[in-house]
Amino acid sequence: MSDQGPRVLIVDDEVAIRRFLRSSLAAHGYSVHDASSGEEALQMVPAVRPDVIILDLGLPGIWGTEVTKCLREWTQTPIIILSVEGEEAAKINALDAGADDYLTKPFGAGELLARIRAALRRAAKPEDGPVFVTGDLQVDLAGRAVRLRDTDVQLTPTEYSLLKTLVIHANKLLTHRQLVREVWGGAHYEDAPHLLRVNISNLRRKLETDPARPRYIVTEPGVGYRLRTEPVVAPSVI
Amino acid sequence: MRAPNTTSLNPPAQFYIRKITTSRLPPRMIRLLGPSAPNNPGWRVLPVGFALVVFLTVVGLWIEPVIKAPNLAILYMLAVVMTALRWGRMAATISAISGAVLFDYFFVPPPRTFLVSDGWYLITLVGLLTIGLLVSMLTLAAREEAQTAQRREEYTSALYSLTEALAAESDLDRILDAIERHLLETFQRPIIIWMPVDGRLKARISNSELATAASKEAAAVWVFENGEEAGCGTARFMDSRVHYLPLKTWKGVVGVLGLQADTSKEPASDEKHLLDTFANQAALAITRAILAQEAQRTAVLQETDKLQKALLSSISHNFRTPLASVIGALNSVLSDGALLDISTQRELLKTAQDEAKRLNRLVQNLLDMTRLEGGAVHVRSEPCDVQDVVGSALEQLGDAARERLITIAIPPDLPLVPMDFVLIVQVVVNLVDNSLKYSSAGAPIEVGASLKHDQLQIRVADRGRGIAEQDLERVFEKFFRGASAETPGGSGLGLSICKGLVEAHHGRIWAERRLNGGTEMIFSLPLEAQ
Repeated sequence: MSDQGPRVLIVDDEVAIRRFLRSSLAAHGYSVHDASSGEEALQMVPAVRPDVIILDLGLPGIWGTEVTKCLREWTQTPIIILSVEGEEAAKINALDAGADDYLTKPFGAGELLARIRAALRRAAKPEDGPVFVTGDLQVDLAGRAVRLRDTDVQLTPTEYSLLKTLVIHANKLLTHRQLVREVWGGAHYEDAPHLLRVNISNLRRKLETDPARPRYIVTEPGVGYRLRTEPVVAPSVI
Repeated sequence: MRAPNTTSLNPPAQFYIRKITTSRLPPRMIRLLGPSAPNNPGWRVLPVGFALVVFLTVVGLWIEPVIKAPNLAILYMLAVVMTALRWGRMAATISAISGAVLFDYFFVPPPRTFLVSDGWYLITLVGLLTIGLLVSMLTLAAREEAQTAQRREEYTSALYSLTEALAAESDLDRILDAIERHLLETFQRPIIIWMPVDGRLKARISNSELATAASKEAAAVWVFENGEEAGCGTARFMDSRVHYLPLKTWKGVVGVLGLQADTSKEPASDEKHLLDTFANQAALAITRAILAQEAQRTAVLQETDKLQKALLSSISHNFRTPLASVIGALNSVLSDGALLDISTQRELLKTAQDEAKRLNRLVQNLLDMTRLEGGAVHVRSEPCDVQDVVGSALEQLGDAARERLITIAIPPDLPLVPMDFVLIVQVVVNLVDNSLKYSSAGAPIEVGASLKHDQLQIRVADRGRGIAEQDLERVFEKFFRGASAETPGGSGLGLSICKGLVEAHHGRIWAERRLNGGTEMIFSLPLEAQ
């Protein structure tokens, strides 16, 4: 096991899951630490100083959601939530509380590695350059200009604000609530979810080659949206 | 069941009716005597008999010069018979005695005395008195007979109407209602019916003041357990004001009927008969209803049992098959790893992975089905972008969908439609997944959405093997596998989950056969949130 690679803290009460994650991650050069409960994890984080935390939701004792809230009081270390089907509400709460991403069990190692890489990259350069580029899409945050295949794209102020939020948090999963808060401010409009859907739809129509199979703005059903810059990582389990 | 004794052995209804038809009085006579004769004339009518005799005496005095005195005795005779018929025995007796006295005083020589000079007149007088008394007695007997016959006729018609009402009903509650209504109508007294509910005797019908005091329940329980009458007028619980009858048939005692005793008069024997017959009819009807209920319950149980068996066999088969592959493949790699080349090892591991995925899908489907059937699925309707729904579904299908030609036809001006995004995504995923599974790799798949008849219609069409005409509806049944569905990996639940989810949205889903082969799955959702 290498102690040189990025440090990962695995928090899961299942021995089999910890063993599987430990061997997969160690094989890819990560330095792996693990905890079997939320309490243990909260004690370990200050000592281990992990670069990324993989946190199971359904822990004995305090839940993953609570662990996320506690950690976010003092650290911005990326947190990837592991959940099973049926924990949707808890999952969204954890994401709202500041978790960066989630994976639904069962998942493949490849998928997890991709999420970890993305999280580490985001954490490594919190400030993007003034011009964000992915594929054919260019967003000049300083000049408020959006270009697609070197053609200017006209966006409404709301559309631009939404795109900007997605770009700043590129590859991070943003929940509906987080997006509404960022774009429409503190006021929680009654029809904000509606407005969000319409604006996402409009953005796709202006930016995506095939709006029905978007390349950049991806929907996480029931959770939120993310701007994807990574090559597509197929979920290994349908 | 204990041997029935004479008190609890209810005579069959036919017996009772036959008794009526052998009544000695012809019906016309019953009508003549019955309704007009008051039941209890009382003392008020006694002067009437006397007055009639006085009136005849005045008439007699007036016509005496024309008609000879002995013939006048016939007039008095007539008065006695009329009085007996109209006003009963007492009035007739008074009229006979007073008639004899007045006849003697006014018409028997020597006139205006109570003396009798001629021996023949003595015979006339005695005859007048005797015939008067005899006629009055006979009249009474005839009238009582008529009253009994009338009561029996009423009872028979009450019984007929009960039998008719009971025959028309098969539902237990309605049968109990009918029994209550007819008993009340016939006996004009509060009734109560106890029936066993979950092993305890409970009042199923109880009207008015016949509340279920503990003592009454004790009596009812005794009657239920022993199958014999109790309460007022019997040897058991005799101080009770209620008469308890077992509702008894060949199936045993099905309940207990309680009728408030009428303390004002001695119950007529034919009334007791009627009550027994009523109880008998009620017991038969209740038994019939119970049997019908049991038959229905058995049918439901059998249906549930069949489903559970199908579920179990499907689960055990669908679980074991992939598990066998997973365990077998992993075993080979672990124990014979050194003997296998890398590509064989990868192949084995790939098999294990595919089969594990299949297991996961199965578990997911079972979970979804359980949630749907348990009512745990809550539709959170929000205006949704249909294009986003289809896109998310294809995204979820991952490589399987990317590797195939899937054309999407969604008009850009389609409005947002209220639905639960996650649930409808799952419907589309299941439908497209089916199309992927049941059509060959080169065959195109079409996904489309449109507005039709104020509904959103989403369709998924393939060029697969298609579904037999007779199976178009059955494919949505649980565990139904089409005759051509040999492709492994299906749980037989995917389409029934779709149906459940669409119907939870107040929508409809159906399958159509396509021209030139293939299947088109269509579901519609209302445009207005329900």
